Amino acid sequence: MIRTRFLLAGAALALLAALAAVAVGIRLAALPELHGTLLDPPLPAAEFALTSADGGAVGPQDFRGRLVVLFFGFTNCPDVCPLTMHRLGSAMEELGDRADQVQVILVSVDPERDPPAKVDEYAKRFHPSFIGVTGSDDELRTVTSSYGIYYARTEVEGALGYTVDHSASTLVLDRNGGLRMIWPFDTTPEGMASDLRYLIRR
Amino acid sequence: MKRKVLTGSLLAMGALLVGVSFFAIAQPLTVLPRMALAPGFVLTDQHGERLTNEDLRGKLVVYTLAYTGCGEACAPINRTMAELAARLDEVDTGGAPVRLVTISVDPERDTPAALRSAAEGLGADGQVWRLASGDPAMVRQVVGGGFEVFYEARDDGTIRFDPAFVVVDGWGITRARNRVGLPDVELLLDQLRLLGNEVRASTGVARFAYEAAHLFSCYAY
Repeated sequence: MIRTRFLLAGAALALLAALAAVAVGIRLAALPELHGTLLDPPLPAAEFALTSADGGAVGPQDFRGRLVVLFFGFTNCPDVCPLTMHRLGSAMEELGDRADQVQVILVSVDPERDPPAKVDEYAKRFHPSFIGVTGSDDELRTVTSSYGIYYARTEVEGALGYTVDHSASTLVLDRNGGLRMIWPFDTTPEGMASDLRYLIRR
Repeated sequence: MKRKVLTGSLLAMGALLVGVSFFAIAQPLTVLPRMALAPGFVLTDQHGERLTNEDLRGKLVVYTLAYTGCGEACAPINRTMAELAARLDEVDTGGAPVRLVTISVDPERDTPAALRSAAEGLGADGQVWRLASGDPAMVRQVVGGGFEVFYEARDDGTIRFDPAFVVVDGWGITRARNRVGLPDVELLLDQLRLLGNEVRASTGVARFAYEAAHLFSCYAY
């Protein structure tokens, strides 16, 4: 009788282990060609509360259950920002009806010239679902540093007076708010859409 | 026929189970954990040039802390960095350049000129090894918030801080925080070697093995 119980318990354990092994095997085998760096397990990502167009506080924690794509830029940015935002917009189009599972947030690192409403209006030019937020320099320094992003004001000649140098990476947070992926600047819209599809499936 | 399919499935499952168990237990590959995003920053180096974390993307970076007025208290830290700089060619990093950065925890006094003078004494060339300082609020954010290292000014003008050697990969992810005493240079070289292994295996089938090593927490340290 005892032997039978041992055998049954052993068989159950073996079955569980086998199922776990199969799950891991499938997970690794299903890893597609990715275009950014996948972080598995995900890294902890900081919550934040920056100001949105309606004056409310917004951060990635407000979109749990969706993927959150974070990009840091500013509206007078001549090249990196419009190009990245355009690529993100194209990736959203490519996602079709799955786009509602992704929330893109543009964080302006030029709060002096980019009030929240202006950032938001700028972000929505690239896709109606995008939102734009910003904050004080102190708030932005804390947020950007925690996401491995730098920004610095650089004086330039001309009407603008200054520009803002900043990191060009785009970050993707998973449904639970963990940092899952980092895209380099040159990631294509197709690559972004493909990676987002994979992250949505997980 | 059904029996053959069943037997085949069981055998495949068994082989997979053995394989996965072997990987999880024997850990044929070891990696450094992906601990956290390293902080973003903009600082100024000993030549008065801007140094940002973005400049260091794609490179393996060892960060440490010191300050020029530190005297003998910082000598072991500086010696470790100097020895590491001299021995970098011993480690195969898969082609990824290595950079060393000493961040001053005394940004008020450590101007670029002070850093340059210190760098000359240490043999920090400004290419591989850079000394950096900057806006005190930024330094506080980077050192305290980002690298999670405690430091504070004492009444006598000296600065108390915990020695730390932080290794960051080319994606800007912290992979090792060496904070217990002074690490052996061999340990730092080994950590760079482990990152080099991952750089070499970043494409092709080997990538899956390294991802599995992360999945199973096959950590070297």
